[in-house]
Amino acid sequence: MRISLGAMLAIGLAGLQFIAVLAVVFSSYVTSERALLDHARELLSDVGTNAIEHSRGFLSPARGAAELSARLAQDQVIASDVPELLERLLFQQLQFAPQFSGLYHGTEDGSFVYVMRDPERDAFRTKIIRTGGGVRTTELIWRDKDYSVLERRMDPADTYDPRTRPWYVLARDKLTTVWTDPYIFFSSQRPGITLASPVLDGSGGVKGIVGVDIEISDISSFLARLRIGRSGRALIIHSNGDVIAHPDKALLKTVDSNGQLRFPDIQHVEDPIARAAFGHLMDNGTVSVEEETLSQFIYNGETYVSVVMPPINDNLPWITAAYAPESDFTQVIKMNRRDNIWIAVLVAAITGLCGLGLANYIYKPVRAFAVRSALISQGELDPAEPLPATYQELENANATLMQQIAARRATEMEYGKTFQLSSRGMAQIDAETGRFLRVNDKVTDITGYDAATLAGMTFAELAHPDDPRFLLFDAAQGSLPHEINRELRCQRRDGSTIWVALDAIMIFNLDGKPLHYVLTMEDITQARQTEDQIAELSRELSNLSRDKTLGQMAAGLAHELNQPLTAIAQNADSALYAVDQLAGADSELRATLHEIAEQSMRAGEIIKALRGFIRRDEGIRSDFDLTDLIQQTGHLVRAEARAAGVKVSVEPGPLPPIHANRLQIAQVLVNLIRNAIEALASTSQADRQVRITARVDNGHVLLSVADNGPGVDPNIRLFTDFETTKPSGMGLGLSICQSIVQANGGRLWHERREPRGARFNFTVDLAEVRKGAA
Amino acid sequence: MSETERLVFIVDDDQDIRTSLTRALRQRGFAVEAFESARAFLAAFDGSRAACLVLDYGMPEVNGLELQEELNRLQWPLAVVFITGHGGVRESVQAMRGGAIDFLEKPFRQSELVERIESALDIARERHAAQASRQAFRTRFSRLTERETEIVEQVLANPAEASSKEIGLALGISPRTVDHHRARILEKLNVRSLVELVRLATTVGGEGQPE
Repeated sequence: MRISLGAMLAIGLAGLQFIAVLAVVFSSYVTSERALLDHARELLSDVGTNAIEHSRGFLSPARGAAELSARLAQDQVIASDVPELLERLLFQQLQFAPQFSGLYHGTEDGSFVYVMRDPERDAFRTKIIRTGGGVRTTELIWRDKDYSVLERRMDPADTYDPRTRPWYVLARDKLTTVWTDPYIFFSSQRPGITLASPVLDGSGGVKGIVGVDIEISDISSFLARLRIGRSGRALIIHSNGDVIAHPDKALLKTVDSNGQLRFPDIQHVEDPIARAAFGHLMDNGTVSVEEETLSQFIYNGETYVSVVMPPINDNLPWITAAYAPESDFTQVIKMNRRDNIWIAVLVAAITGLCGLGLANYIYKPVRAFAVRSALISQGELDPAEPLPATYQELENANATLMQQIAARRATEMEYGKTFQLSSRGMAQIDAETGRFLRVNDKVTDITGYDAATLAGMTFAELAHPDDPRFLLFDAAQGSLPHEINRELRCQRRDGSTIWVALDAIMIFNLDGKPLHYVLTMEDITQARQTEDQIAELSRELSNLSRDKTLGQMAAGLAHELNQPLTAIAQNADSALYAVDQLAGADSELRATLHEIAEQSMRAGEIIKALRGFIRRDEGIRSDFDLTDLIQQTGHLVRAEARAAGVKVSVEPGPLPPIHANRLQIAQVLVNLIRNAIEALASTSQADRQVRITARVDNGHVLLSVADNGPGVDPNIRLFTDFETTKPSGMGLGLSICQSIVQANGGRLWHERREPRGARFNFTVDLAEVRKGAA
Repeated sequence: MSETERLVFIVDDDQDIRTSLTRALRQRGFAVEAFESARAFLAAFDGSRAACLVLDYGMPEVNGLELQEELNRLQWPLAVVFITGHGGVRESVQAMRGGAIDFLEKPFRQSELVERIESALDIARERHAAQASRQAFRTRFSRLTERETEIVEQVLANPAEASSKEIGLALGISPRTVDHHRARILEKLNVRSLVELVRLATTVGGEGQPE
């Protein structure tokens, strides 16, 4: 397929622009998606780290506070056995650390001081259990933040004994600060952990235990505040599988089979996505994570990313986990993508239009060049016209083209001159329609039609109407001949008939398709007429024996003369008869009348004699040009000579007119030439020649027919025997030839040629000789 | 009248010939009628009289030979003397073969012509007489009955077996009946015997046969 330069430019500049824009958009989409996914993982990782740090930061003051209290008690900076002082200390500590929900101190004797926040009354509540003197009292005191007593009352029903509590047991056993596992606080029903630190006496014994209750629902609040994508969540899982912090605090409480509140484990938490993401981590009642792990999972047909972090430390075996749907990060990009495509299309369209404009601008000189070339090829523009401003390459191409055109024109001009000046008629004929495309002057001379008229005609229209329809150069014929050579009759414009020799060849283009015929034609009417004259001579010769024109004329003449002679004779006899009837007739009158009758009879006798004479001599002698006759006779025997492989040469010199019977002389010539040809045809020699010569000799013309054949057999008596061996046909025997020659006033004789061959000579009278004799 | 009339027709396309010949022959006592063409002659003459025809051989349209053939076909009692300006041997042979008295080449002497005319007239008269008797015989013959005609035919077909017995045998009738018919036939045909009948029929020629 051919694409024009303009289209190429338009497609190149606009189409490639479009593709480039799309490629950039698509690749940026892919890379940004990957970057965002990486970012999501980092974000999750950060979230985990953040949660861990927050948890640690949240819990470390509690440890400090608990250990400080324990040390204070231990060092007896405050009298641990004075509940009021201890209450004040614990109160101050509680106010200092907002994440503490309560501080308390239990001793080996079962006394207990407990200061806690009372969110219901926006106040602080103190519980003091005294055991001094074997009497156990429990006092409850509510204070405001200024430590003023709001209410004070005793609680006789209280049965609380610190020494049985897990935190007490654990710290006393371990003799160091211990953390309990998170649990749901009895009083506030909120999740929390307890930190317990032993108060030692000087001997290493345990005097009591200081405990700090820390509510960890703040960690859940913190997690809820974290933004992880749009719907991502972070949670903290204890190493025993319990979910201890979750953005949705309501999920953290569940009731076990004993009717006690507790944390749900990760396999049962009411967060299905979390279950799907992390449930598999729990194995045999523990969750173990060695290192930070990022992973991907599919839940409900949506892809999520997740991360789990190893435990914070041995005291806090908490595993931080976070998950978020991938689409939270890629959604924006997906939304952007459509916009980007539209933008890309718009940009591509705009740049495409710019490209088209640019292409047009670039192509304009090329198009102008193409138009110019077309005009030049149609001859509507002179190639000498200056080329408008254009590209260097086109100027070079133009220069080459002009050179080619100049060369072609020169060739065409030469061809055209040859065509126009040819001595033969030349024409170009359309191979498809058979119409004349171009003719030279000679064609118009031959046909009588002018070139403009011929341009609308086919060759068939020139053919003679009486001849079969001429179908050369007619595509309807089917296959067109590549070459035509023939002679045919044509009718000129003036209606006269001419004979034309036609030679035509078909011209093909480089692809082998027929372009047109080039034909040459020649008027051969004159040559044809000559041939016709020869044919006429031949015909006359063959009719010679039946030619009675002269005899018939003589008979008619005799008849015409005999009529009046008869009338004269009869009238003379009648008169004579009448005179005889008269008496005394004049004898002289009788004699005169008798003489008239007798003279009439004599005239009749003369006519009869003349008629008889003419009948015997049927030829008429006349003056004619022997050269023409010899030439025509040569043509007449040409076919026979060619068939016999004999070369007949005719060499008559310039001759004066002769006086003889033309047909008879022709007959004798033909006969002698045929004899020679037959004599040569019977031999095996390659060189076979017959020469006909004529020259003036001693008041006659001497004609000779000589051959280089075997010659005449000496045993044959020419002019008698030989004629009996003659084949039948137009030819006459030698004796007849001799008679004819003698009747024409000449003689015929034979000569032997050396080294071989025969020559027959005969003479005819010159026209002048006869006149001189007459 | 027919014994004395010497009737001569001249047919020649040449006016001078007709004039000179007419004048010469009338001078010598012939009754002469001249025509310029064969057609004119055929239109004027009915062949009822014996005559001599002096006929030019070479004429336009119908020539002398063709007229001669036509006259032969018509059986007219004419004797032809040809006159010709051609004088070819072939033509004269044809003319004589067609029954011409002579073939005179123009110009000819008057005495020769008159001589030929005289002999031509003699022949014409004979022909005319023969035709007349033949006609009379035919007329008589036509009066025969069917049976009588049958008997005559039998006799003519077999002149050697002409007895009444043989004829009766051939025709399936009795000799007596044949005798009876024979007498009637001789009477009607005006002959004396069957022998004369046979001779007469032979003279008249083939044309004597009843049609």
